[in-house]
Amino acid sequence: MATTTSNLPTCPAQAELLDQIRPAEHKETPLVGNKRDFPWVTEKICTIVESRVPTWWWVAFAMALFTASFTGVGLVWLVSTGVGVWGLANPVNWGWAIVNFVFWIGIGHAGTLISAILCLLKQGWRTSINRAAEAMTIFAVVCAGIFPLFHVGRVWFAWWLFPIPNSNAIWPQFRSPLEWDVFAVSTYGTVSALFWYMGMIPDLGTLRDRATLVLRRGMDETLTPLQRKVQTAIWTLRKYGYGIFAMGWRNAGNHWRNYEMAYLLLAGLSTPLVLSVHTIVSFDFAVSIIPGWHTTIFPPYFVAGAIFSGFGMVLTLMLPLRALYGFHDLITQRHIDNMCKICLGTGCIVGYAYIMEFFIAWYGANPFEEFAFINRAFGQYAWAYWIMFSCNVFVPQLFWFKAVRRNAAMVWIMSILINVGMWFERFVITVTSLANDFLPTSWGYYSPTIVDIFTFFGTFGLFSVLFLLFLKVLPIMPMGEVKFVMPQADPHGHGFGDTAQGANSEMKGGAH
Amino acid sequence: MSTHAQANSSDASIAFAQTASVRASRDYTMPALIVGLVGTAIALLGFFTGMSAGDSRPLFSWLIGLSFWLSIAIGMLFMTLIFYIFHAKWPTVLRRQLEHGIGLFPLLAVLFVPLLIVPFIHDDPGILWKWMNAERYIVGGGSVATDPLFLHKSAYLNIPFFIGRVIFIFAVFAILGYVLRRLSFQMDKTGDMANFHRARIFSAIGIFFCAAAVTMAAIDWFKALEYHWFSTMYGVWFFAASMRAALSVTLILIVVLASRGVLKGLFNQAHRYDLACLMFAFTVFWAYISFSQYFLIYNANIPEVTFWYNIREKNFDGSLNSWWWISLSLIFLHFLVPFLYLLFYKNKVTAKRTLFIAAWILLFHLLDIYFNILPGKLPLENPAELGYVVRQFSITFYDIAALAGIGGLCIWSYLRSMKRVAPLPIRDPNISASLAHHE
Repeated sequence: MATTTSNLPTCPAQAELLDQIRPAEHKETPLVGNKRDFPWVTEKICTIVESRVPTWWWVAFAMALFTASFTGVGLVWLVSTGVGVWGLANPVNWGWAIVNFVFWIGIGHAGTLISAILCLLKQGWRTSINRAAEAMTIFAVVCAGIFPLFHVGRVWFAWWLFPIPNSNAIWPQFRSPLEWDVFAVSTYGTVSALFWYMGMIPDLGTLRDRATLVLRRGMDETLTPLQRKVQTAIWTLRKYGYGIFAMGWRNAGNHWRNYEMAYLLLAGLSTPLVLSVHTIVSFDFAVSIIPGWHTTIFPPYFVAGAIFSGFGMVLTLMLPLRALYGFHDLITQRHIDNMCKICLGTGCIVGYAYIMEFFIAWYGANPFEEFAFINRAFGQYAWAYWIMFSCNVFVPQLFWFKAVRRNAAMVWIMSILINVGMWFERFVITVTSLANDFLPTSWGYYSPTIVDIFTFFGTFGLFSVLFLLFLKVLPIMPMGEVKFVMPQADPHGHGFGDTAQGANSEMKGGAH
Repeated sequence: MSTHAQANSSDASIAFAQTASVRASRDYTMPALIVGLVGTAIALLGFFTGMSAGDSRPLFSWLIGLSFWLSIAIGMLFMTLIFYIFHAKWPTVLRRQLEHGIGLFPLLAVLFVPLLIVPFIHDDPGILWKWMNAERYIVGGGSVATDPLFLHKSAYLNIPFFIGRVIFIFAVFAILGYVLRRLSFQMDKTGDMANFHRARIFSAIGIFFCAAAVTMAAIDWFKALEYHWFSTMYGVWFFAASMRAALSVTLILIVVLASRGVLKGLFNQAHRYDLACLMFAFTVFWAYISFSQYFLIYNANIPEVTFWYNIREKNFDGSLNSWWWISLSLIFLHFLVPFLYLLFYKNKVTAKRTLFIAAWILLFHLLDIYFNILPGKLPLENPAELGYVVRQFSITFYDIAALAGIGGLCIWSYLRSMKRVAPLPIRDPNISASLAHHE
């Protein structure tokens, strides 16, 4: 078989070698199924934004709003009474608040991983899930931010966290990782939002142009004059709304060139940023000298756990969306397989950390450290430990099997179990070490109060409200980038199903 | 070794490729073997004379030399596994080089044997790993046998279990290396995709065993040199360091091999670029792991673990020692210089520039190995006195002999492996895509 190397063979031996090259047949499933074309992708994504809101959306939105109101009630209760309404009490002065904070921040990580790290790794399959995952990141950061913000007690003094000397010239404690969190999370939130928005500019331009086209054609003649007026107003709003945010995008060559360079730079900046956020979250625990918290593997272990839970959440969200919107050609089995495998891999890294912690707790020969771990597994919170261990280490092992990965319902249930497990991981770390500390006389058992439960439960509603609004208002997939990984976009492509050509389109994905 | 069967049954086409590759470039097999034999002979001479004189330094030379080459082979094994698991297409063209590298484990296992027999033939079995000698004095008074920390760990740190773990570690590496080589060479001949699928499955399962083996190796061979010390991150450090070493060696190999002979020009700019990007990523990862470990220990400031870094900085009296400079050079020269250097596009594609940074990283990787192995707390002559002596940084003649000797034998084995099979995985499904890889 002839190979397409740029140079001719340099010697007869090489010509002989190249002549022997006969790649085995290997069929690769394309990233966009059913041989769809470009207009189909545009139609598919844009009609979600442009067509009437489906009934299920309103039902879901109402439910989400109702759920979100629980957070509202919880927070009003807290602010009007005091932090005492949470279950925090000696010896456990860090309870659900930090658990929920770390839980939500962790979920956010998959978005940046997909959009930034997979972009740097030139993984073409990220394109159909990255937009929704990035949105998820931002909404998760919003949910996460609530907890430390209100945990400060007098929330109106939260601005003291910023490095501004307040009226008494008191500076924040720069040596505290909680202070680093302020910088890490706010930077992360800002850059994620920027990245998300920037990636959306070409698609906003498309939506603007489609609105312009509809307005130019005029409204449907069968409508009543009033309906036509309303429709015209809506389309005009779209034209200018998307138009302003599209910032004059004209799909020109130099626009794409700048776009791709900006995307690459932001990906390069976001990558260390996303890793640093959860590293600093892990420092919240690891820099203290509490047994069970002070262990050197915490930074990569927390990062792996965050990616694990984030991909769990991506699966939880994308599988229903795929069914509701009929995205089977855009989120193919290949995408699901890849996400399942990432969950499997990161779940195993987390498992490695669990085992390593346990082993070194024994090997280190520090009786307090040893106790902390035996207490985790067999003490009063053993139930939580084993929920954590089963959900995070045993459950993902099912992803080894193709039959499981192909069963969407099963994958969906497992993705939820992953996040249950990851919530319990933070609970186990936070609570077990505090509840049974150095002094047995002060041991206690932590239970959340109804306010804790309300506030946390409501964040799922808040998250859903934001996500549903995103579904309705913004393009949920980057149309340009999805098209970019399709065979038609490949300059060397010669049709569908060809292996070499499939390989090329795979390599081309991401920044160019 | 697996390649015997290959050599016997190699078909005409492969035979042609071999002769061509031999003809086109000079054959370094014999020189490598000679350097290897002479180097190991000198190093082993030092090893055993040092041992009988009670001098542990030549034993450290051997451990350093072995660990350096072992880390490269381990990294190459991880690279092979990772490329299979991720179904990476672009590195297919260089996978054959990795496959020669992962065939080194049986040889390296044999070279590990001298370290294993020390406790049985020497009156101080703890000359290298001090926990092996229960009677050995330790800093702070008493002997290993009366050391509560040792007694606690003795269920793990005992000679039979230690040997069992060495066997496990090498068995994992050697078996995986053997299987992956065999499947890939088989693929060359038959083009049967079953080989490829099996290699992927073995990689996915094998990486778990490799993770366990690499962690145990790091704990047993390096961490247990100062057996009081512990850190959960340590296994990850060895993985990161091995990856850096292997990426550098792979880059050197493809630049050298692409400059002449049958492979001339087949490893292109895009291959160099992607490898250099991975080098950059692992430079940052290594720094992340090393910094986190240091920072968490420094910040908590608990003497049970800080001593490990203390002796890498100061003597007992508080004066800076030679390790201080090594520590600084690891930060600035092993991290900062490659980090800044590899940020620039041209440095990642120009053959000579990539060659430079790969050699640079390898050099400082060696220093990192020194940093992790050599410093130690030695008791004073008079055990009643307070304090200790730190084993200082030095490069001895035996260090060089061990590095050159073990390296020579590794290169010899590598070159022999190269002669037995085609220089590229010619029937791999992704070989064409990989040859045509472009940025």
